[in-house]
Amino acid sequence: MADSLPTEFDVVIIGTGLPESILAAACSRSGQRVLHLDSRSYYGGNWASFSFSGLLSWLKECQQNSDFEEESAAVWQDLIRETEAAITLCRKDETIQHTEVFCYASQDVDDNMEETDALQRTPSSEASSTLTKPPDSACLAEETHHVTSYEMPAKDTAKNVGKISLEITDVEETLVKESNCGDKTCIHTVSDGDKDENKPVVKDNTDQPKRNSITYSQIVKEGRRFNIDLVSKLLYSQGLLIDLLIKSNVSRYAEFKNVTRILTFREGKVEQVPCSRADVFNSKALTMVEKRMLMKFLTFCVDYEQHPDEYQAFMQCSFSEYLKTKKLTPSLQHFVLHSIAMTESSCTTIDGLKATKNFLQCLGRFGNTPFLFPLYGQGEIPQCFCRMCAVFGGIYCLRHKVQCFVVDKESGRCKAIIDHFGQRINAKYFIVEDSYLSEDTCSNVRYKQISRAVLITDQSILKTDSDQQISILIVPPAEPGTCAVRVIELCSSTMTCMKDTYLVHLTCSSSKTAREDLESVVKKLFIPYGETEIDKEEVTKPRLLWALYFNMRDSSGISRSSYNGLPSNIYVCSGPDCGLGNEHAVRQAQTLFQEIFPSEEFCPPPPNPDDIIFDGDDKQPEAPETKNIIIAKLESSEECKNLESPGKHLQN
Amino acid sequence: MSMEDYDFLFKIVLIGNAGVGKTCLVRRFTQGLFPPGQGATIGVDFMIKTVEINGEKVKLQIWDTAGQERFRSITQSYYRSANALILTYDITCEESFRCLPEWLREIEQYASNKVITVLVGNKIDLAERREVSQQRAEEFSEAQDMYYLETSAKESDNVEKLFLDLACRLISEARQNTLVNNVSSPLPGEGKSISYLTCCNFN
Repeated sequence: MADSLPTEFDVVIIGTGLPESILAAACSRSGQRVLHLDSRSYYGGNWASFSFSGLLSWLKECQQNSDFEEESAAVWQDLIRETEAAITLCRKDETIQHTEVFCYASQDVDDNMEETDALQRTPSSEASSTLTKPPDSACLAEETHHVTSYEMPAKDTAKNVGKISLEITDVEETLVKESNCGDKTCIHTVSDGDKDENKPVVKDNTDQPKRNSITYSQIVKEGRRFNIDLVSKLLYSQGLLIDLLIKSNVSRYAEFKNVTRILTFREGKVEQVPCSRADVFNSKALTMVEKRMLMKFLTFCVDYEQHPDEYQAFMQCSFSEYLKTKKLTPSLQHFVLHSIAMTESSCTTIDGLKATKNFLQCLGRFGNTPFLFPLYGQGEIPQCFCRMCAVFGGIYCLRHKVQCFVVDKESGRCKAIIDHFGQRINAKYFIVEDSYLSEDTCSNVRYKQISRAVLITDQSILKTDSDQQISILIVPPAEPGTCAVRVIELCSSTMTCMKDTYLVHLTCSSSKTAREDLESVVKKLFIPYGETEIDKEEVTKPRLLWALYFNMRDSSGISRSSYNGLPSNIYVCSGPDCGLGNEHAVRQAQTLFQEIFPSEEFCPPPPNPDDIIFDGDDKQPEAPETKNIIIAKLESSEECKNLESPGKHLQN
Repeated sequence: MSMEDYDFLFKIVLIGNAGVGKTCLVRRFTQGLFPPGQGATIGVDFMIKTVEINGEKVKLQIWDTAGQERFRSITQSYYRSANALILTYDITCEESFRCLPEWLREIEQYASNKVITVLVGNKIDLAERREVSQQRAEEFSEAQDMYYLETSAKESDNVEKLFLDLACRLISEARQNTLVNNVSSPLPGEGKSISYLTCCNFN
């Protein structure tokens, strides 16, 4: 499309993450001419969600980014006038590190590897096929992939199939590691072979007759069913984001599901946390006495401010110390601390009470837990705000790189950007996401890191009658000083994974690489697909089909003054933070908006589409529509619900 | 029993290159207007028209691209939970026809499997400037298993037909769905939407 970009705007926004997108919507809604750019080919930056193949290309890009050679910057430098200075922008995304991929699902071989195909058809290898190959559509890394094979006759394994070299590795080392270094994307091909070489494989198969076997090629084939979030968050049902979505009417672009369960991990077992009144009374895990204790405590928390005498003496203590004084059994203390307040053990009494109160207030607004999850993933949310911006005239351009800001030397203000075509685009205000800023600008900035894991599994971590549960689990730190790990398990009805699989997100703030931070929790909750299941207990654990670890830069706590030499009309948005909710992003967007346009309202409700009267229209819209019903819901009128007004429960 | 005055509600989404007349088609249908030389529509998210088909009230919610197609930056969320897609090109613009496969790829990626897609060649009032023959378009739509129609938003040719035919097909699909509704995997549109404060239902 050879359409050229206008060159005069009020606001230019670079980056389509959540805070930038909210700002775009707010600016456009208040009548500003907005240009919203992203250098990537997708919306959301580090807030994006990807299909499976999309995620693999993203991984590839992360890897290429680190090999990226700096291009000569000469092109645009001629365009800077004498009275101007340039602030170069970053050319590569350095926010993602330590990506590591493990494939445990059997990688059945059909198309490219005809010779081994015959082998695969032998009954012994049908259910637990033994040959692994690099993901073909993905081509993640150019290095050679070592394919492990245990059950194959030696003469066959010696064969070279295509470019893939087969080799038998030590069974103790199930992971075949490629160069495992900081910035590189490493591929670990994991054999799903039996640990005991001599054990008949057939037996292995009969051990698990009922379990679905999902192969890697099925995952690839059904790849578009996946919407894999880079950040794993939920919406607090009384949180700032829900309020903003409702107020601005952006909610009409998205649909949500309730998180159905809060889980806890205690003494090696996953249990459901009773959190509503009904839950508490129906709970089989609690004794009558415990039920009463818990209810009493939770009732107190709802209006703890009214009873200062109850906690004043403990202001200096940690919340966990305080809970010990409240006549709660250890299991109740655990529930409250980790699953309801969801705080670290070191958090203060007041913060703990605040968090507990917030949790309880969010309960029951839309359902039985305080959280909502957007269908198709968190990555939808920034896009919804972008749509709102576009509806009010904002111009959108993905795949559009910006080379530099142009600063007027005399006024010290930024007056334009120069894009990758050398085109100068003028504006009054500039909003840029942290990752676009160059090393020079950020040389004083100290970033935190977020450790993330994304797992595809074959079963829920806590099986119940329904296989369509959305669960959140906080795994307390194994040792003091480390962080709790947040686990969010999504079922296929969230439209984020294929049928018969679960998508599991793990998040914590980093102390080491993502794998080092999270692997122990993964091992506690899951077993690799195809690994021998010796004792009964192991069999009940969900199996890992695929796993990805990565670290994401957390720029959320950076103060504006840490950036070097930014003119006052350039505003910086941060990337995703580690928190569960989206409060940080919303607050940041609102603060920046009010700084830029102090007299404007932040995201007021748009006019009802039915009420819009066009210039020169004498005719009113025909039908006397009074409401706008949002989604066409034909398929399952029973299950579909409109969350109408806040505070009001779902109508069934 | 219904609080709403309709039997069916469908979300129809328009896509296609900039300038092929998507907004004009919608405005012609919903308001009976043809706004010549109209720029981007500000503040209009979707338009609604309720039609009656065989005695049943069908509410059509028709979504426009909001200009995001101009630089190929349509959000994926735009496609979610659409019941039908109208893929539009301009018969006087070869380029807009050549881009169709690209649009189809987007549809495949982001829209529901069950979405009904209609191919529309607009601007037949400018027949003397035609660049894409009807036969070519027919062959293309056949190969892609799409319903095909040529329209003129300006002269109001086939515009009613386009939307009413589509509504009929959506109704019959919907009926079929409710009959065979033992689907275990949930469909888009099954989640909940949050709408804003002042538009709660008054029942």
